[in-house]
Amino acid sequence: MLRLEKSKETQFDILSLHGEVDASNSVILDKAIQELSDGGAKLILIDGSQLEYISSAGLGVFMSYLEDFSEKGIQLSIFGLSQKVYEVFKILGLDQLIPLFSTKQEAIAGTHEV
Amino acid sequence: MVKLPSIHIGKLSLLLAILVWLSLLFVDLVRIFGMINELDSGISEEITWILEILFFFTLYAFYNYSIGKISQGDFLNLIWRGASTGLFASGVGLVIELFYLSLGESKIGTEPFLQNFFYHVNFAWTSIFLISTALLWKHLILYQKSKQVVKQWQAFEFAMLVAAFFVFFNKNNFDYSFLFGLVILLILSIVLSGNLKWIPYLTFKEKWKSLLFLSIILLSAGFLFRRLISYGTDDRLQINLTDNLFLMALFGFIFIYALFSFLVTLFNLPTSSVFEQKLTEAINFQRLSQSIQPEENEEQVLDILMDSCMSASYSDGAWLELNEEEHSHQEQVRFMDLETKKEIAEWIKTQKAAEIWAIGEKPEQLNPLSIRLDHPKFESALLVPLVINKAVIGRMVLCKEVKDGFNKEMVNIISTFTRQACIAVENHRLLNQAIQNERYQEELKIAQRVQKALLPTRLDHPKSFAICAYSNAADEVGGDYYDTFKLDESRYVLIIGDVSGKGTSAAFHMSQMKGIFHSLIQLGLSPAEFMIKANSALSKCLERNHFITASIFIIDLEKKEICHSRAGHVPTLVYAAKEQKSEFLMFDGLGLGILRNNLYENHVQEKTFRYEPGDILVLITDGIVEAKNQKGLQFGFERVKSLVEINHTKTPKEIEQVLIDSLHSFVGGDGMIDDDYSLMVVKFE
Repeated sequence: MLRLEKSKETQFDILSLHGEVDASNSVILDKAIQELSDGGAKLILIDGSQLEYISSAGLGVFMSYLEDFSEKGIQLSIFGLSQKVYEVFKILGLDQLIPLFSTKQEAIAGTHEV
Repeated sequence: MVKLPSIHIGKLSLLLAILVWLSLLFVDLVRIFGMINELDSGISEEITWILEILFFFTLYAFYNYSIGKISQGDFLNLIWRGASTGLFASGVGLVIELFYLSLGESKIGTEPFLQNFFYHVNFAWTSIFLISTALLWKHLILYQKSKQVVKQWQAFEFAMLVAAFFVFFNKNNFDYSFLFGLVILLILSIVLSGNLKWIPYLTFKEKWKSLLFLSIILLSAGFLFRRLISYGTDDRLQINLTDNLFLMALFGFIFIYALFSFLVTLFNLPTSSVFEQKLTEAINFQRLSQSIQPEENEEQVLDILMDSCMSASYSDGAWLELNEEEHSHQEQVRFMDLETKKEIAEWIKTQKAAEIWAIGEKPEQLNPLSIRLDHPKFESALLVPLVINKAVIGRMVLCKEVKDGFNKEMVNIISTFTRQACIAVENHRLLNQAIQNERYQEELKIAQRVQKALLPTRLDHPKSFAICAYSNAADEVGGDYYDTFKLDESRYVLIIGDVSGKGTSAAFHMSQMKGIFHSLIQLGLSPAEFMIKANSALSKCLERNHFITASIFIIDLEKKEICHSRAGHVPTLVYAAKEQKSEFLMFDGLGLGILRNNLYENHVQEKTFRYEPGDILVLITDGIVEAKNQKGLQFGFERVKSLVEINHTKTPKEIEQVLIDSLHSFVGGDGMIDDDYSLMVVKFE
């Protein structure tokens, strides 16, 4: 089960993930990110505090935008990941490519620095 | 037992009939010679009668046999046989009459022997006509017979048998007993003549033909009867063969049945089209229900549907359209040009009733809608929905040149036809789907076999370490991979890989991974170099959102060292026997295919460590640590770790078994692990 919530703040878009991302619903996540990108978002914050699990297919979605976003100058960062989910990002090595923060404030501050 | 071949029964009885007739002729001529010359020929009239009865029997046997061979249901052919025999018999009678007319009162004209000869010829042909036609009638009467009709017929045959022997009792006198017998037989004939079930099955055209043939039979019977009566009153003929109850009753029977048939056929003519219509409908219905064979396609079914509905409603034009995307090219138009069809379709669109009809109600409850048309040619139309699986897949529009041309009966039968056709189409689709699925299953089985062959059946290893491995796919095929290689006498490579996702796409990537790994391993690269090269090769062939994680170990037996690199793969557990402790080898290492440029070099590391006898390596894929039980709890790293620590004295095979068993009992008896999972266990001696 995956539920997505989008909210827009002045300088960035927040996409909140609730539940689990696996092969069956990774397409929904992909579509949501694509929409944000098409909508001209420059800063995308992913709220992962309610994310319980992410499978390799879900990681594949984030991975597939890396190159695209760096070309377009779109920044994507993730915050609030639980220890378990963070581990998954770390094992794959995505923590080296996507900025991961523990809180929203840190994420906002961290993103602005870049 | 002597058994006569059945083929000869016909010929035999015919031969016998001819012989009997000849002997009858001879006997009678001898008797007449005796009478004329007033000599006692010594032959009593009983012999004539016996021969006469014998002649009847042999004829009966012959025709019973030859008519029996005619196939049932070919009524017209049956009646034609009767009519043709009648025509021929009358023709023979007519020729003889004309012959005597031309002779007048000359000597030959009054010659008794010649006269008697011709009388016998006439008698023979009349008998042939009567007996053969009676047997034809038998076939018609017993069409769709019931037990009662069979009994009536048997009673009639028995009465006729008695009538044939009646001559012995009656001595050819026309008296009350003769009249009594005749009346009884005529009543039986009338009762039997009520059986005319064959008539409705004739088509309109066949009815006209049968009327013609029946009138021929009636005329022939009348003519022959008049001839016999005139013979009966002729004093010149001393021997009377024809004032016979059997023959007279047969005349009556033939005439009555022919008359009944004639009249019933005549009165059936106006309603025959209705019967034909119903019969066609029944046949069409059967065709529709039979048209679900896989080799027939939907178009054929819809074809039959249109034909059936048009004929059932006497439509003057129609078309059928499907609004499904993949079938939208299927459009059939009958008896109208495309221009007219377009005009009518446009007109229907403007009609409110049709509009409400098309969108309202549940599709499965949609009934045909009859509407008026404002068109120079067509005055009314019937919209018939085609409903499959509770969805309207198209419609059929029937058009007529008269106003309000569709009555309730037509709409009912059309609804039934349409439902049947839709069921046929639905069944056809389901069947095709099932066949397709079957094929896919077969293909998947092949894929499974091929993929199993991609994993090694035996693992290269020296005596100094023991090794075993296991892999299981969540679907038919999976994306996990493991292998071992012997670089030289002292260096071995262990490798494990996992394609993101699962199923068929993962399986294809797995085979690419194997190819690339096999090529790179030959080059003697260091683990980090190996990963860099593998990343650049895989970046070119992986789908955009797919990646691969892998771990590689190069074991140097001489130095007792292991060089290891990790590309995003689940950390490997190392059990150190000396410290009796284990830990997961976690350090930076990015998955393959994530960074598809040379920046990848910055994200891969290499670690070298020494090993001791008794040390254990456990290589796993994420399917094991991420396996969840019913409460949503993951199997996790800690469980793997503690299981290995507890069972460190066991052989690799036993450790592997412990891990798999624990995993299954953790997930639960019938719980499914919905990811591919693999493990490889190595233990140093």
